[in-house]
Amino acid sequence: MEKDRIKQAYLSFVLGEGHPPQSVFKLTQQLGLAEEEFYRHYPNFEAIDRELWADFGRQARSTAAAEPVWEGYGSREKLLAFYYTLLEILKQNRSYALMSLRRSLHRIPALSPRVLDDFRQDFEVFVTDILAEGRVSGEIANRPLVQDGYPRFFWQQALFVLGYFAKDDTVNFERTDAAVEKAVTLSFDLVGRNSLDSAVDFVRFLVRK
Amino acid sequence: MSDEPQTSLPTTKVARAARFAKTGLNVGANYIKHYARKAVGADSTTEDLHAANAAELYGTLSEMKGSVLKVAQMLAMEKNMLPTAYAEQFAQAQYSTPPLSGPLVVKAFRDAFGQSPFQLFDEFEPEARQAASIGQVHFARQAGKALAVKVQYPGVADSIKSDIRLVKPIALRVMGLNEAQVRPYLEEVETRLLEETDYKLELRRGQEIAAQCAGLAHLEFPAYYPEYSTARILTMDWLPGQHLKEFLATNPPQEVRNQIGQALWDFYQFQFNTLHRLHADPHPGNFLLRADHGGTLGVLDFGCVKEVPADVYQLFTALLASETLADEARLTALLTQGGVLRPTDAPAMRALYLRTMHASLELVGRPFRQPTFDFGDPAYMAALYALGDDLMADPELRKQREPRGSEHFIYLNRTYVGLFALLTELKAAVQTQPAA
Repeated sequence: MEKDRIKQAYLSFVLGEGHPPQSVFKLTQQLGLAEEEFYRHYPNFEAIDRELWADFGRQARSTAAAEPVWEGYGSREKLLAFYYTLLEILKQNRSYALMSLRRSLHRIPALSPRVLDDFRQDFEVFVTDILAEGRVSGEIANRPLVQDGYPRFFWQQALFVLGYFAKDDTVNFERTDAAVEKAVTLSFDLVGRNSLDSAVDFVRFLVRK
Repeated sequence: MSDEPQTSLPTTKVARAARFAKTGLNVGANYIKHYARKAVGADSTTEDLHAANAAELYGTLSEMKGSVLKVAQMLAMEKNMLPTAYAEQFAQAQYSTPPLSGPLVVKAFRDAFGQSPFQLFDEFEPEARQAASIGQVHFARQAGKALAVKVQYPGVADSIKSDIRLVKPIALRVMGLNEAQVRPYLEEVETRLLEETDYKLELRRGQEIAAQCAGLAHLEFPAYYPEYSTARILTMDWLPGQHLKEFLATNPPQEVRNQIGQALWDFYQFQFNTLHRLHADPHPGNFLLRADHGGTLGVLDFGCVKEVPADVYQLFTALLASETLADEARLTALLTQGGVLRPTDAPAMRALYLRTMHASLELVGRPFRQPTFDFGDPAYMAALYALGDDLMADPELRKQREPRGSEHFIYLNRTYVGLFALLTELKAAVQTQPAA
């Protein structure tokens, strides 16, 4: 698995040096590989970064789903379980995670860093799935038109969580845990059936008359 | 131990800060006044409190119309109760935290033990059975044993610190106190509150005190399991029994009440006199009562333990002795030593303090000076009410804005207030002095 070797070598270089290698050539030389071997797998270093993040997300989803209580969880709890597992994984890789987050997050808060592109795609698919489940179980209100924007809304929440994690200076990131708990509760209060739906229903009733 | 969700108090630091800052001092002032008033039991907030089911401690104390609390407050001279009001207020804020989600509980276990509670225990209930002051209690089973697993809310220690920083300046202004005067009391309260967040300490103290009290009759302590406990997770036996209110609803016979009351009294006297440290949180949620063996008392939660320094112990004991009440010079000397009277006081002031303290001590210390005492005696309760009301109404006393007395009295008072409250609820007749 040359691809994995390259990925690991890149990761340990970034961890050791605090920045990506100056060139693909230098990295492949270290590994005793030909340069084209690298390009067979990745177009550039950024692609490895994106893949590392996508791996974190994948690993978080599969670990969380392996928990025996997973099937018993509602949508809110599934999302929570995903975040907590993701944070665990990020903690195990905290040097790399913090470094790449801090490097890319500080510019414009609402704009997603490129490094999270692949991670984001998987995340939105995952959220769409659990939201669909939630609509079946009645946990989430069915709101045609509006609900198409939910994955993007939850992506902003994920960015908030990652940003909070990157800035958290409490022991063991305890405040991030609390932030996740509260952010997810709030978001599910919003997407669940609430007074807004009753208001819309009421207005629709008046208008139809 | 409220099990009804409360959502009225903003729980995050930002929300709390916003609440204080936005509407300025007025709202802050009302807030503090409200809680201070609640803590001294004035006003008829009894109904509201019941409705909110806001901690059983509040329930019991307010049912008693707060007289005991008022008297105790006088013991510590007026404003010393303020920090306790803080303590309750913070506990309150934590009570109103929504229960931890299942995934966060799982995560807390992963952090602590590297595995989920479902792997760790044979059986684990993801839904909490009870809210504790700074966490929640889950039911688990391991090797056939029923266990209570207390899981702390994340970041509690931090939020206690920031709460105190947040509320202190406003409180000081409202109560007309100055920082330097109150500092020792606040430090005392902060220390105790922070100690409560360390479950390792609680485990050690729980084991130690249980071992030392092993000789006392009709008491039961849970065994603690260090292998399933960390600073944020505490595992102990799930004790059988009911909380005070449910237990009283079963109409236990007088002998059972007496035996439980006796066990409670002996437990506290033994801790105070022999161990010189006290389970300083005698609120109803921390005791489990049952009628087995003529009345058995289970003691939980050693989160708040007050170590009593030797000089404070001597002072407290001396103040409660009958000789002291009869001898004004001795009382004066003791009160001066305790920081309640100061050499700089004007003679009229001094006489006033002395008179109030004498009245309070006579009444509050009565159970200590008799061989037996009936806490169910309505006359004693009536006397406490009357004294409390008199003291609250005294215009001269109300003008006194300075806290007095040793900071160690805060938790000693709280302990004995709670103990008296429990015993009067139980209507127990207790042998208060060891048989000669």
